[in-house]
Amino acid sequence: MSATAVERPARVPDGMRRELAGRVGRAAWRAGRAELRKNLANPGGLVVSGLFLLVVAGMLAALWSAAAEANGGAVAGYTAAALVWYVTISEITTISQRMQFIDELGDDIGSGRVETALLRPVPMVVLLWAAQVGGALPRLAACCLGGLPLAAVIAGAPPSWPAAALAIPATLLAVTINITGQHVFAAAAFWLRNARATWFVYQKLVFVLGGMLLPLEVLPDWLESIAQWLPFMAMAYVPARLAAGYVEPELLFVQAFWLVALATIAIIVFARGERRLVEAGA
Amino acid sequence: MATNASPTAGAGPAIVTRDLTRTFTTGRRRERRTVDAVRGISLSIEAGERVAFIGPNGAGKSTSIKMLTGILHPTSGTAQVDGLVPWHDRRRLAGRIGTLFGQRSQLWPELPSRAAYDMLAAVHGIDDRTAAGRVDELGELLGATELFDQPVRTLSLGQRMRCELAAALLHEPGILLLDEPSIGLDLVAKRRFRDLLVSLNRERGTTIFLTSHDVADIEIVADRTIIVNHGRIIVDDTVESLRRTLLASKRIEVGLHHRIDPTCIELLGTTVTEATHTRISLDVDTSATPVRDVIDALLDRLPVADLTVVDPPLEDVIADAYGDSE
Repeated sequence: MSATAVERPARVPDGMRRELAGRVGRAAWRAGRAELRKNLANPGGLVVSGLFLLVVAGMLAALWSAAAEANGGAVAGYTAAALVWYVTISEITTISQRMQFIDELGDDIGSGRVETALLRPVPMVVLLWAAQVGGALPRLAACCLGGLPLAAVIAGAPPSWPAAALAIPATLLAVTINITGQHVFAAAAFWLRNARATWFVYQKLVFVLGGMLLPLEVLPDWLESIAQWLPFMAMAYVPARLAAGYVEPELLFVQAFWLVALATIAIIVFARGERRLVEAGA
Repeated sequence: MATNASPTAGAGPAIVTRDLTRTFTTGRRRERRTVDAVRGISLSIEAGERVAFIGPNGAGKSTSIKMLTGILHPTSGTAQVDGLVPWHDRRRLAGRIGTLFGQRSQLWPELPSRAAYDMLAAVHGIDDRTAAGRVDELGELLGATELFDQPVRTLSLGQRMRCELAAALLHEPGILLLDEPSIGLDLVAKRRFRDLLVSLNRERGTTIFLTSHDVADIEIVADRTIIVNHGRIIVDDTVESLRRTLLASKRIEVGLHHRIDPTCIELLGTTVTEATHTRISLDVDTSATPVRDVIDALLDRLPVADLTVVDPPLEDVIADAYGDSE
């Protein structure tokens, strides 16, 4: 009962653990569904996402096509058409994110708004994660509606249909991994309170080491080697490379690995962060 | 209606604390200093009680309620809420208590409240049919059925607070911990909210622990009042007893049609706290003189343009409490 002489709660029986897992799953599904409804209730925001994608992907596609033509028709093995599909998919996976989530969580922790999330009988990170995934899905759909026809008009059909088929689950996984990675970085807010710097760093890592702006093969060898071993490559590079025509199904396993790894890290750092918050005070 | 795995009225203490203390450290290395937000609070609240935990800003109310909900560890001391140590069993306790933290919302502004209830029902492991029944029931109790279908951002603060209360009650908690729930509400909404809390307590036996810096919360909602200041309990008494002592005064503010000589006002059982040629303020000792008699006398003798009866400021009540405790 005392704060100093710690009495730990009794171990949760397996039946209760299963019941809790089911409850967490249902709650996460509903949090995601609510976020989906919120985004669908704001069609203007979705249109802006789609238009923004058109502008950015259009510019990058033009840039890389010109680079490929100037370089004898290909850059680092990617043809001009492959590069158009690459940047379109890499942009879709990134623009469908709300990376300011990292910044917002920092604000919530700093202002104490996070207290309502701490007062629920399920882990905060699960509901936050589900809400982000639910919110990303309509944005992903809007970005696909804007980006895929653009790529088809500029570059024609995808370079390889089997690879394009692999790119579909890879894109969904990339979005989910990115959201999970954001939670890992967002947890810094438990210590720093203001996570703006973390947000800035995370964005840039995804842009460059995640292969959003350019295929990793374009980077210097040493930097490419590093990037291939980091989780950011699973957030943009993997689906983009598949869409560019490379039939490499093993990349999906790499994504699965990073999803599990980042989810585990997110759960651990959030648990530590929550503990720190309740010890230090919100 | 039965409550959710919580103590029923008369079944024993719902909340017990002993020497609960919380110290915060602020500032950087050389300028580091400690602030004692809560200094050894000991209390015992029986199931079914309605307790107002009041004090001025910075008295330690919110820090205490945070420790009781488990979202803040104490520096020292002990506590049990519904038999659980809050900071060890925060998530389990969250399933047994209902909380409302002033302006902090459990609802989503863009969506109707029902969307949040849907998620909260899953969070608390309530099946859909039961949840739908409870939402209907709460809608009737709170007079908010129609509000549940409107986007939260379109509701007034008073309407939103009713929807927030439904969210806090969805899992039928036996204990409600409310931190400044009436802050920002207009007078009508405050009255309605206070009446709701009383009827919840009467109909369901819900234990109510309410922090406030509003004296009216003592008189209308609570049957027991704990006054804190500088992190310490300075008064812990029934409201009935407080009415005879600390709350035995009302302030009457009078606006006048035309100028009078303020020195000529002398009424038995009153003290003039402010007097100008056009405005007078009097404190009435209600144990000696009924407010009605004073009002009658004022209307009789003065050119009254408007007249307001208000509670004395909490700071005055606390100053009186200090005087008594010394």
